[in-house]
Amino acid sequence: MDHNLLVSDPMRLYRAKRDSARKRVTDKYTILGFISSGTYGRVYKAQSKDVDGRIHAIKKFKPDKEGDVVTYTGISQSAIREIALNREITHENVVALKEVILEDKSIYMVFEYAEHDFLQVIHHHSQTLRQSISVAVLKSLTYQLLNGLLYLHDAHIIHRDLKPANILITSSGVVKIGDLGLARLTHQPLMPLVAGDKVVVTIWYRAPELLLGAKHYNKAVDIWAVGCVMAELASLRPIFKGEEAKLDSKKNVPFQKDQLLKIFEILGTPSEREWPKVKDLPEYDGMKRLDHYSNRLQEWCQSRMPNGAQLLKELFAYDPDKRLTAGEALQHRWFREEPLPTRNAFVSLSAERVPPHRRITQDDAPSMMPLGAGGSHVQGQVSQMQATAQAHLSQQLSHSHSNQSGKAGSAASFASVSGGGGPSRKKARLG
Amino acid sequence: MATNFWSSSHYKRWIVDRATLHQARYYDLQYADSPEHLGFLNIFFANLISKLGKKLQLRQRVIATATVFFRRFYVKNSYCETDPFIVIAACCYVAAKAEEAPVAIRSVVTEARTLFGDEYGIKTFPSDNSKLAEMEFYLVDELECDLTVFHPYRTLVTLCGKEGGVSLPQAEAGEADADDSDGPRYWGTGEGKLELQEGALQMAWYGLPYCPSPQAQDAQAPVRFIINDTYRSELCLLYSPHLIAIAAIYLTLVFHAPTRASIQQPASSAPSHSGSSHHSHSGSPTRRSSRSTTHSQKKQQQPQDVIGFMAGLNVSMTLVATIAQEIISLYALWDRYSEDVHADSARSSFLHKSGSASGGTRRGGVKAGRSASVVSSGTITSGNTPSTQDDSAQNEIVTPMSLVQLLLRMREQRMTDLAHPPSGRPVAVNKMLERTQAAG
Repeated sequence: MDHNLLVSDPMRLYRAKRDSARKRVTDKYTILGFISSGTYGRVYKAQSKDVDGRIHAIKKFKPDKEGDVVTYTGISQSAIREIALNREITHENVVALKEVILEDKSIYMVFEYAEHDFLQVIHHHSQTLRQSISVAVLKSLTYQLLNGLLYLHDAHIIHRDLKPANILITSSGVVKIGDLGLARLTHQPLMPLVAGDKVVVTIWYRAPELLLGAKHYNKAVDIWAVGCVMAELASLRPIFKGEEAKLDSKKNVPFQKDQLLKIFEILGTPSEREWPKVKDLPEYDGMKRLDHYSNRLQEWCQSRMPNGAQLLKELFAYDPDKRLTAGEALQHRWFREEPLPTRNAFVSLSAERVPPHRRITQDDAPSMMPLGAGGSHVQGQVSQMQATAQAHLSQQLSHSHSNQSGKAGSAASFASVSGGGGPSRKKARLG
Repeated sequence: MATNFWSSSHYKRWIVDRATLHQARYYDLQYADSPEHLGFLNIFFANLISKLGKKLQLRQRVIATATVFFRRFYVKNSYCETDPFIVIAACCYVAAKAEEAPVAIRSVVTEARTLFGDEYGIKTFPSDNSKLAEMEFYLVDELECDLTVFHPYRTLVTLCGKEGGVSLPQAEAGEADADDSDGPRYWGTGEGKLELQEGALQMAWYGLPYCPSPQAQDAQAPVRFIINDTYRSELCLLYSPHLIAIAAIYLTLVFHAPTRASIQQPASSAPSHSGSSHHSHSGSPTRRSSRSTTHSQKKQQQPQDVIGFMAGLNVSMTLVATIAQEIISLYALWDRYSEDVHADSARSSFLHKSGSASGGTRRGGVKAGRSASVVSSGTITSGNTPSTQDDSAQNEIVTPMSLVQLLLRMREQRMTDLAHPPSGRPVAVNKMLERTQAAG
C-alpha cells in the first residue's frame, strides 16, 4: 500500500471507486447523430439501450480546455443552473430531463426528445409551404407555451431566453419549453438579478424595460418574449428585428437604439401615462431623443392575426406591471373562441403539412462521443474535437448565411441552440 | 419548485432515516474512538464549513446549503475513505453557485489552504484549482445533481413575520428579504402569524439565550443561532426543514424567559422586565393588529395565544418535540467541544474558557459555558430535559486538533486494513490505484 500516494492525494481511492462504478453514456445510449451546437456545447440524438429504446436528446456541455488538454476548471454557472432547475421540475410543457451523466470531465444532460421546434415550424411555413400558420396551430402552440410558462413562473423560475429556437414540439404536437440555461429562481434571491447576468434574452425578444436598462425585472420579461414569439408565428418573421448594439471593450451594455426603434415603430413611443415608471429607467433620456411614433399594432395585426390582436396588445403592455401574467393570458377570450387550442397542436394538419423531422448529421457525430474510457484517448479526442469544431464552425456560418437569405430550411435547434440563427440571434452573456 | 417542498428533490430523495445514517457511518464507527466522536465530527465539520464560508463572505443560506451538501455526500461515503477537507471546499464552491452567488475557484482554493493549513495543520490541500474543480465534479455526481435545498429560515420568516418591526441584523437579511408574499407555507393549514418579541425571533434565528445588554454582548460576543446550530448535527437529513423551524420556535418559546412567563400567566400579571438584563421589548407577544399600542397596553390587551398558534400548525407535535430533544442533545454534546484550536491533545482536558484573541476561539469557550447554563438551568419544560451525561464523559473536552488527529488515524487504519484484509487476499485497493494512476 502506497501511503505516500494517499498523503499527497487522499481522494485517489475514492475516485477509483466511483469511476469503476460509473455507467458511461455509451453504455446506456446509442448515438444516432448530431443535432446542433451552440456556445454551451453540442446536442446529439440518441437511443436508449434499455428495452424501451426511447429516443433522447443528449446535450454535452463543452469540456473545459487549457491549451489542448481537457481539464477541470469548474462547472459553469449556467450548467449548474440548468441542471439544478431541471432536477426539480416536471411539467408536460417543459422539456423533461431524464438524467445527468458526468464522465471524463464532461457533463451530459439527457432530455426527452422533441422532433420539432417553433423556429423550424416557422421556416417550414415560410420556405416550403409558403403560407401562414393556421389559426388552430398558432393558438395551440401559444396556449401550450403559456401553460408551460405558467408552471415555471409559479415555481418562481424566470426563463429569460424564450425564443422560437428554444421552444420545442414533440412529434405528437406537444409544446416543450427548453433551455433553462439562462433561467433562474427568483424566490428570495441573495443578489439582485441584474448582478448575475448583465444581458439576458436574445435582442429581438428582449422586453423594453431590459432595453432601457432596468435594474430590476421580473417574470414579465418572459411574457414580452411570448408576445414576440406569437407575433412571429403569425407573420413568419420576427416582429421586432433590430440590430444589436455590441458591448464595448469595457463590457458596458450599450443603448439598444435600433431595437427600441423597431418596437416603437409598431407599438408607438411609450408614454408616461401608460408606463409611469419609465422615467426612472437609466436609458430614459436616450429614449426621449428618439423620433416619436404612434401605435399601429392594430394595423399590423389586421392582415396577420385579426382575432388575436387584443391578446397581443396585452402581452405587449409597456408597463411590466400591466402586462398580462401567464395565468391571465391563458384565461384570455381568444383561447375560448373557435378554433379551440388542442393538446396535439398538429391535429388539424394533414400529414404533408406537419413539419419534417429534425435533421441530424451522421458524419461527425459518433466520433464526438468518447468511445473508450481513460486518459489515453484524451489526446486523440481533443484533436478530433478541434477538427470537427472547425468543420462545424464553417458549416454554421454558411448555415446562418443561408438562413438570412431565406433559402435554407430550419436551423433546427434542440434544447437551446443559442447560435441557431444569424449573428443577431445570439445573446451576449456576461459573467 | 421553490414553493413546493413536497415535489422537491429535497423531500423526495434526501430525507433519510436513522438506519440509513447508521449504515453510512458503518466503517467510520469501526475506526472512531467512540460513536460519540462522530457527533463531535459533525460539529467540527459544520464549523469548518461555516468558517470557510465566512472567509469567502458567503451568506448564511449559502453556508447552510454547503453543509447540507456535505451531509448528503457522507450519506454515501465514509470519512475514513475520503478527505473531508477538500469535500468541504467543494461544497462551499458548489453551494455558492447553486444559490446564485458564485465565488471564484481561486479564492476558494486560497482561503481553504490558508484555513486548513494554518489553523488545523492540514498540509495536503491542493494548490491547484483543477483539483478542487475535479472534486466539484464528483460531488455534483454524488449529489445526483439535486442542488436545490430548502432551509428552515423561510418557515421561520413565514411563521413569525418580519413585518411586526422585528429586524434581523444586516448579515442575515438576505434570508428574510424578497417576496415572501409569494411563498406560502407549504404544508397547508395554520392561520396568521406568530408575533414573537424582538429578542425571541432573534433567538430562534441566532440561538439562545440571546442577550442584548451591552456588557453581556461584550463578554458573549457572537450569538449562536438555533437554526444554524441544527446544521451541526444530521437533523437536516432526517427532518423536513419546516419541522426544524417549528422546533426552533418551540425551544425559543420555552427558553425565552419573558415569553415563557407570558404563556404561563396570560395577560393579568405579566411581569415588568424593564430592569432585567434581557429585552426591553418584553411585553406579551401580541397579534400584529395591536402593534400600534404601547408596550404597557399590550401587556393588558389580547395576549397572543401562543399555545393555540402552535397547536394550530398542522404538524406532528410529537415529531417537533423529538427534534427539540435532539437539538438539546446537540447542545449537551457541543458543551464538551472547544474550538480552541491551539490546545493540543495533552492540554485538551483543560477548557480554556477565556480563549485567545481569535474570534472562533473565544466563541468556542463562550459557547460551552453558555449552553451549559441553558441545559442546566432547569427551564426546560414539557418533559424535554435531556438525559444527563455520565460524569466521566462530561470531563473530556474535545478540540478540533484532537478531531483532526482522529480523522487522520481513522484514514490510515482504514487504508492499512484495506491493503491487508483479514481474508489474506490483499490489495484490491492497489489494483484500483494502479488503474487510476494509469488513467492519469
